[in-house]
Amino acid sequence: MTPASQWASHLFHLVLLRCASLLVPAKQRAEWLREWDAELWHVQRACAPSRGITWAAEREVTAFCLGAFQDACCLARQMRPRNMPRAALRGSPVQCILWLAGLLAASSVLALLLPGVRAERSLSPQHVGPGLVLIRYADSNDGAPLTISPGQYRAWKGRKQQYFDGFAFYRVTEESVGQESVSTGDGAHGKAAWRVARASSNLFALLGLPVQFALPDLKADGNVLGVILSEDAWKRDFGANPKAVGRVIRVGRRNARIVGVAPEDSWGLPGKVGVWLLQPDSEIDSGGAGYVVAHLTSAGKAAMWTQCVRITAYGPGASENDLLGFSIETWRPGTWGIYLFAILLALLSLPAITAMSLGDYSVCSHEHSWSQRLCRWSFLSAKISLLLPIVYFASLDLAYGHSTFDPARAMYIQLISSFSFCLFGFKWALQDQRQRCPVCLRLVTNPAHVGQPSRTFLAWNGTELMCGGGHTLLHVPGLPTSWFSTQRWLYLDPSWEFLFAGSGTGMESEVISGFSSS
Amino acid sequence: MASETKLSHTAAIILQALDAGFVYGFSIMEMTGLPSGTVYPAMRRLERDELIRSQWERQSIADAEQRPARKYYKLTAAGKTTLQVSRKRYPLLERMVPSEEAKSV
Repeated sequence: MTPASQWASHLFHLVLLRCASLLVPAKQRAEWLREWDAELWHVQRACAPSRGITWAAEREVTAFCLGAFQDACCLARQMRPRNMPRAALRGSPVQCILWLAGLLAASSVLALLLPGVRAERSLSPQHVGPGLVLIRYADSNDGAPLTISPGQYRAWKGRKQQYFDGFAFYRVTEESVGQESVSTGDGAHGKAAWRVARASSNLFALLGLPVQFALPDLKADGNVLGVILSEDAWKRDFGANPKAVGRVIRVGRRNARIVGVAPEDSWGLPGKVGVWLLQPDSEIDSGGAGYVVAHLTSAGKAAMWTQCVRITAYGPGASENDLLGFSIETWRPGTWGIYLFAILLALLSLPAITAMSLGDYSVCSHEHSWSQRLCRWSFLSAKISLLLPIVYFASLDLAYGHSTFDPARAMYIQLISSFSFCLFGFKWALQDQRQRCPVCLRLVTNPAHVGQPSRTFLAWNGTELMCGGGHTLLHVPGLPTSWFSTQRWLYLDPSWEFLFAGSGTGMESEVISGFSSS
Repeated sequence: MASETKLSHTAAIILQALDAGFVYGFSIMEMTGLPSGTVYPAMRRLERDELIRSQWERQSIADAEQRPARKYYKLTAAGKTTLQVSRKRYPLLERMVPSEEAKSV
């Protein structure tokens, strides 16, 4: 190498070290550079003793200099205060969002784990599908049993109807049900008398009733009929064991396989039933009358504009039968309906418990940039967006987490808890927003009482709070007056920033960068 | 720094090299074969943990030899204790960096 290239090489290495030194904190930079310069001098002497620098030596020296970057980064990391991130996070919008996200995760996971909540969410708001009527003879009294014979049912079903496109039949009797796992109530195992609904196999499908733990095929399987247990019977006699589904029990003189469990309170038709035996129409014996449920066609729905409609049916020999069709469509609000109603109530009640303003920004002379305004509104929206699902899941956890609550009581618990959580959640979101610095969105701290209450009308009396970043002072009047009715922000001059540790530093900027453009 | 501090193998080699008399960064690099990007950051951490301390050479000595002054490193009492613990943990440490070699440098 020529002297000129040696000089260029030396210059190159010095430049590398100076570049690396830029990563070192300013206070340590001079000493750090002095050490590396001295070491470089020795490295160069060691690599090129007398015959001048070779390319191999050059590579070695360059590799040595590149190591300075790692050293500089290491020193920069060491000099960074360790507790600063936590301090910067305290009171910041990120901390608030993280708390809310944690609450949301906890409440939603709990809702997923609690079986009562899962079952409730799987139910549709309508217990019985729309467009269904229960048919009975017009001349029977209100309290009289609905006596439609199976023969009549089969006749209607076999004929093309204008107003109905589906029929189902059931008859409730008391029969013995037996299986080894079914107790008789006195501790002995054997047969017990149950309220059995002998039903056409399409009953549940027509009614649109939910079936828990349902086997794929609810219909009869060869000689073994399908049977659906009521939740009450499933809990009482099978210990709420999901594996009970699939077992074969004996209903009367027939074997039947348990194909599912009907949720409690889902059965809204006449007759208290412990078990539904699903039979093909051909096997429904003609011995006793029962209930007929019919599904209306669109023409039927148009004709049925009241809860009750008179029906004329033609029997064998063109005889006319006067019948009445009662709508059995039931509706209950469902968890979403209750939740939305609670939100509406909370929004209506909110002005009664807190001021709706977000702080006195309009009076002050300080101009906010559009990005600052956007950040403030985005933060408020984020808080409310997280709050709403928290309220939903938490109210479900409270209402349906305990299996002993009956559905009506659970519904009221959900309504009250949703309303309370929403109301106080909204109140908190607004109060929290009012106490956040408009510049960096940190919570103001260090409250100091200024003045005396007795001098309210002569001088100022109230509380002053300060932004941890040194951007603002918040004045809250102790007693609202006509000239100072709401809180006011005082924007501090940037020359004050030296008083605040971490103010305007890169670390704080990192923490609040998502919300503030300051 | 507690005596039970467990060092990495690299940090233990650097401590052993310092104890053997290799008292500045480049000599430790040469002795251990570790690159500068490993040796110097490790020494920063050891100094932060008060296992070693640094001291600038007197300028008069450097001037007399017509070279820049160097920064020398030395084990502290805690560093010596930690090195003893590390030698038990890494039995080959003394063989890798024997003290005799330093005397010949």
